[in-house]
Amino acid sequence: MSLSTASNIAQSGLNTVSSEISVLSRNIAGANNTGISSEKTANIITALGGGSQVASITRATNLAVFQNLLQATSANAAQTSLLSGISTLNQTIGNISSSSSSSGSADNSPAALLSNFTNALQSFEASPSDSSLATAAVSQASALAQGLNSATATINTAREQADAGIATSVQTINSLLSQFQSVNTQIVNGMATGADVTDAQDARDTILTQLAQQIGISTTTSPNGGMSIYTDSGVTLFQGGTARTVTFSPTATYTPSTTGNAVYVDGVPITGSSASTPISTGNIAGLANLRDNLATTYQAQLDNMAGALIATFAESPQSGSGPNLPGLFTTPGATALPTSTTGLAGQITINPSVDPSQGGNPFLLRDGGISGNANYVYNTTGQASYSARLSQLLTQLSAPQTFAADGDIATNTSLSAYASGSVGWLENQYSTASSQQTYQSTLVSTATTALSNSTGVNIDTEMSKMLDLENSYSATAKLISAIDSMFNTLVTNLSNITVPA
Amino acid sequence: MGLFSAMTASVSGMAAQANSLASISENISNSNTTGYKEANTNFQDLVDSFGSTGDYTAGGVTTTIRYNIAEQGSLTSTTSPTDLAVQGNGFFLVQNSAGADFLTRDGSFVESGNGNLVNAAGYTLMGYSLAPGAGTPSQSLSGLVPVNINATALSATPSTSGTFTANLNSNAPVLAGAPSATNSTSTSSLTAYDDLGNSVTLNLNFSNISTAASPNTWEVQVYSPASPTPTTPLTTQTLNFDPTTGGLTAASPTALSVAIPGGNTVSINIAGMTQLASGFQVSTANMNGNAPSQVQSVSIATNGTLSYVYSNGQTVPAYQIPLGNVSSPDNLTNLSGEVFQPNSNSGSLVIGTAGTGSLGTIQSSELESSTVDLATQLTNMVATQSAYSANSKVFQTAADLLSTLNNLIGH
Repeated sequence: MSLSTASNIAQSGLNTVSSEISVLSRNIAGANNTGISSEKTANIITALGGGSQVASITRATNLAVFQNLLQATSANAAQTSLLSGISTLNQTIGNISSSSSSSGSADNSPAALLSNFTNALQSFEASPSDSSLATAAVSQASALAQGLNSATATINTAREQADAGIATSVQTINSLLSQFQSVNTQIVNGMATGADVTDAQDARDTILTQLAQQIGISTTTSPNGGMSIYTDSGVTLFQGGTARTVTFSPTATYTPSTTGNAVYVDGVPITGSSASTPISTGNIAGLANLRDNLATTYQAQLDNMAGALIATFAESPQSGSGPNLPGLFTTPGATALPTSTTGLAGQITINPSVDPSQGGNPFLLRDGGISGNANYVYNTTGQASYSARLSQLLTQLSAPQTFAADGDIATNTSLSAYASGSVGWLENQYSTASSQQTYQSTLVSTATTALSNSTGVNIDTEMSKMLDLENSYSATAKLISAIDSMFNTLVTNLSNITVPA
Repeated sequence: MGLFSAMTASVSGMAAQANSLASISENISNSNTTGYKEANTNFQDLVDSFGSTGDYTAGGVTTTIRYNIAEQGSLTSTTSPTDLAVQGNGFFLVQNSAGADFLTRDGSFVESGNGNLVNAAGYTLMGYSLAPGAGTPSQSLSGLVPVNINATALSATPSTSGTFTANLNSNAPVLAGAPSATNSTSTSSLTAYDDLGNSVTLNLNFSNISTAASPNTWEVQVYSPASPTPTTPLTTQTLNFDPTTGGLTAASPTALSVAIPGGNTVSINIAGMTQLASGFQVSTANMNGNAPSQVQSVSIATNGTLSYVYSNGQTVPAYQIPLGNVSSPDNLTNLSGEVFQPNSNSGSLVIGTAGTGSLGTIQSSELESSTVDLATQLTNMVATQSAYSANSKVFQTAADLLSTLNNLIGH
């Protein structure tokens, strides 16, 4: 050991402390970042020539908690997008929060409109000669048809929004994956050269949380520090330093018969019925569930109602023979009963020949022959007090009938019960999604807190560390001044030695 | 005659102390020279008479300057990865511009205009190339080439092997229809590289084809969109899982051999595949090889392996930096520029890999300081000064005695 060695060691001490201070100031600067910002530590080791050196800079991690956060984020995003879609569908039954569990209180729901129409028809049956009651019954029928039309339009809008949402989400995923690719390369590169990659690792984690919003993911890390990303169903999104391409062709306009396109990862479908490994969480999963399942089921319910209305009010030949023909409810220009219910709710209208506003005669509802064929006239004698046909219609309306199973609710029931069942089904979907969303968002905030507690920056700790470092720096500086003064002593004393001449 | 011998002895003493002062001044001037080894002045007496009675003739002193070459200087850290230091007994092998070989401990190497690593004294660092086809390092001077870190060359490495480990869902329903590129139970993919460095996606399709007769049976098919026939599997294997452990049965294949379109036939290790009651989950998916990329930096390991770090993060060993040593390093011939040459006294040069024997390790981002300690040199200087004065005093006294004698004769 010599003075110059001591000086070198003191110098290395100063370097170490200044590195630590720079890490500390990064910690403090990142304490309030919105993204992932974990606590970094400069690891100090004894240097080869004595003294100290910064061996590496590492950051606090908690993989288990972070994976939990990713899962909760994805699940929450799926429920949130589903919930917002159901809220749009709820416009068809009025404001869900003000409606009670009974179906009739929401005044614009198909069930409420059906009930209004039934009431008007009963009043008309009681006074079959009253032209104002006839007009009222027809106008309620028209309101019911329009209600079903606008509900279909709302469903189409909701599906279009979901489709556009998926398109945006896919764009976001591709852009996040390309960001991920560059950050991941930076990390692999930095780890190979021993550079400080902690900031890049934070950035990579932040990208992962953003990605988890869009699509459910799981990750694996390889020994060189690189990461692979898989969907929650195991399809590869990023592997071997290469991002896979996520593709989706959006559909701008939806009709009840439209089937939305699937989202593909590298040619493998991850949504829709063709997917063997469909994703279950993330924004895309929620939107695809809404677009492909929930909205189409609700559409099927409305279509079944429309089909039942057309069938119930169809007229049968009273003389001669022939097929049943559309009565009060029909589709524009139809001359026969529809063969399929698909999309009926969007097309259903009242027959112009009974609509006074289109020059029709509302009493045809009482008399029959709406199609204009004389064989289908029920009130053959033209009595003003004829109510048999109206009674028959009301009986048929309240009688149980068989609905197609694609509506996912009770199939053998009366039309009005089916309509209220449909409202109940939608309300149930809403409350399920809502409580799931609340639960998942609680999980997200719990996981965020847990992550921040285990890996986040604590300003108090940093401040006390800073004081330690300050002391260490002054002690080292003091050491350097001591070495300097020792050297001065040596030089001064040597120059004072008088060598005898 | 005693008086004259006293005078010549003191003159030889003064000359010796002057040599000593010269070595001190060399030491002090090189107190900050990287890899400099301290010079020591050794004194030997010279005896003229052999115990004869009566007359005594003084001998004198002669000096030898020795360099304490084997002494380890303290290492100080720097920020450049090409600053190297030896922690141990070895020496770097360097060449001057004329192609002569030298040993040095001065590792302050920087990249020169042509990409060679050259130290502050102008000597080029030598090593063995680890490029494919260069053969194994010969551990002799003949195979040495200048270490070149020229970062302009592109390099692509075709894939040769990979690992894929995943869990297949034991509760997955049996696949309806024959497995194909578009019909499978679970799908994942690997990125491989062909001979030219194109990335080739390998799609691994796993299909549950269990039957009542052969349960726990899966078929794995590997497809590639880069193949001229993308719907024809590159390979098909049947995997059988043990119903009790969930792992592959002993008879089941543990590797997939896939001929990459335009590339090598790679072996994908699937020995770790499991079939448990959990969803499809990939735990390992690796494939070697890399796309064409540029050298971004170099890293030097303690065993002297210099690796290129490519911009995609791959590290490829490029040079082996050997260390040399002799049996008596202190006897090496010392030349300007902190370089040494073996001679008959030092013993012959032995070359080996850093970290083996007593050669020591190569430390990157470190430099070996000069072994000179200023305080020691300053105190030695005072001692030399005193000795020189004492010698001159002896000379003066002898001269006085002679003049006394002369005066006696004059009277």
